[in-house]
Amino acid sequence: MKHKKLLSLLTSIAMLFSFTACGKSNTSVAEDPIEKYGSDTLKLYNWGEYMGNTLISDFEKQFGVNVIVEYFDSNEMMYTKIQAGDAYDILVPSDYMIERLLANNALQPIDKEMIPNISNLAEGVKALPYDPDNTYSVPYFWGTVGIVYNKNNVDLEDLEQQGYAILKNTKYKGKLYMYDSERDSFMIALKSLGYSMNTDNEQEIEQAYQWLKELNDTMEPVYVTDEVIDGMMNGNKDLAVVYSGDAVTILNENEDMAFYLPKEGTNVWSDAMVIPANAENPKLANEFINYVLTYDASYSNSEAVGYTSSNKEVMDNISGEGGLYESNPAYLPRIGYDKDEVFKDNIVLKEKLSELWIKVKASQ
Amino acid sequence: MRQFKNMAYPYMIWISIMIVVPMFMIFMYAFTKHGNDVATFWFTFDNFIRFFSDIIFINVLKQSLYIAVITTIICILLGYPVAYIIANSKEKNKVFLILLITLPTWINMLVRTYAWMGILQDNGILNNILSLFGLQTKLLHTDFAVILGMVYNFIPFMILQIHTSLTKMDKSLIEAASDLGADKIQCFLKIIFPLSLPGVISGITLVFLPAMSSFFIPKLLGGGQYVLIGNVIESQFLTAGNWNFGSAISLIIAVIIMISMYITKKIEVKNSTGKGGIIH
Repeated sequence: MKHKKLLSLLTSIAMLFSFTACGKSNTSVAEDPIEKYGSDTLKLYNWGEYMGNTLISDFEKQFGVNVIVEYFDSNEMMYTKIQAGDAYDILVPSDYMIERLLANNALQPIDKEMIPNISNLAEGVKALPYDPDNTYSVPYFWGTVGIVYNKNNVDLEDLEQQGYAILKNTKYKGKLYMYDSERDSFMIALKSLGYSMNTDNEQEIEQAYQWLKELNDTMEPVYVTDEVIDGMMNGNKDLAVVYSGDAVTILNENEDMAFYLPKEGTNVWSDAMVIPANAENPKLANEFINYVLTYDASYSNSEAVGYTSSNKEVMDNISGEGGLYESNPAYLPRIGYDKDEVFKDNIVLKEKLSELWIKVKASQ
Repeated sequence: MRQFKNMAYPYMIWISIMIVVPMFMIFMYAFTKHGNDVATFWFTFDNFIRFFSDIIFINVLKQSLYIAVITTIICILLGYPVAYIIANSKEKNKVFLILLITLPTWINMLVRTYAWMGILQDNGILNNILSLFGLQTKLLHTDFAVILGMVYNFIPFMILQIHTSLTKMDKSLIEAASDLGADKIQCFLKIIFPLSLPGVISGITLVFLPAMSSFFIPKLLGGGQYVLIGNVIESQFLTAGNWNFGSAISLIIAVIIMISMYITKKIEVKNSTGKGGIIH
């Protein structure tokens, strides 16, 4: 989704140093983690650049344990690894992927007794359709997908009148970043055409395919993933499809940029922590989930990454008066808008969209 | 010799696990599709039919071949003189020059390609320098950027191969030629170049192959809209989750590469025998 491989490489090197350093200080912890959890190692599989700098080291210090972190850059990549039998204690997949993991019986229920902080969840991430009672998952970050535009070069009126169709307005030819993922691109096309983004109606999908193809053939778009953050911070383009959390970072760094959520509706997504069925240390995993939901941990996470916290108090404080992202309209997701939707998992459709998407990009 | 024969067994086991089994699996995937509950897979040619019946995939294949050929040609044109200079330099400089060629490969390819993104982007170093002369242009996300990235990443393989064949060469042949009155150019064309051809051929193998199937160089330097065959395979495995179709495309590429290797080998044999037995 939204992360830089290079930087995650560097952070993982830094992480390596941080846990070798912690190994020595472990002795000062009163309770023996092996006695309490059965093991003192937690294996975490998360998105790259998705945690505050001190989250892991603080957790290690406080609980006297070692955390091994690995990074993925797409849900599918993570899924492939899990399918191959790799064991982790915690994953942080997106909504539709949790649905798929659940359908495969690949997850185990969380232990709510160990996670009292679950009461801190924000309204927007409660009772999500893929796991309404939080039996298996606890939200980590959430947000929307919208358009970041350069206030000096893009007419807000164009945006308000055309919505997503502004991406096909030849006035902005060559000034456009699209997000390189079939899910997000088809969401935009389907929404712009007035359909549900979860449709499996063949005609609607065909129309959306033509919509994207036309965009590709007339607008000279550049398809990017994480590069969009740097690109828009440097003002390389005037319009970009961006995840709300990345938009927060862009708006923070470049004041010419603004964020717009089209009225046709968008994808309200959430990434949540889950414990795989084959986890080796589920007890410690529950402890970690509880830790992430604490005010301090969640605050430093959200502050560092720019994505919206699932902790209500943190979200309110950061976006509220005097908060870090008070004047940043991308931070607080739009909730309760009837045209916004959550992705549902549909593996047949997914395969089809994936093939159509490569055809969109390859047609010229 | 016989007692050493047994020492090959670990190696044989190693290749069968690491090369034969994966190849066999790709083969299996390519000719099957998901079945129902009774039979878990069915044999089929659908994956291949699907590829060849779609003009978009054929165009992607053509574009990939084009980029790989251009990359290989540039690597020969740039790599040969460099290898020649290194081979003819003093012994102590030689080590240093070889080090310079291999030094970049100590750093991960992905990191080096990211660095090129910074250099080539619209507000990057190169464009800033060019703008001093009023020449600012779009560099990143073009054919130029992709070919540059490929040549940059793969040229060490070409240089090292040619260099090896140039240094292994029997120098007395060159001396004999000059004794018999050949000038430097004749010497190069009739002796040195034909003798270094095996190096060029293995260089071509080492450059053409990765250039044909690379997916992250076009992705990073060409942008997501730059689709080569490697990107199609990647998306089939990682996003679409269709391993059967992905394997079929991999197999098609493998066949294309094998055919091109066969042709280059033919040229090599023709060259070394046709010139009247200069080799021994």
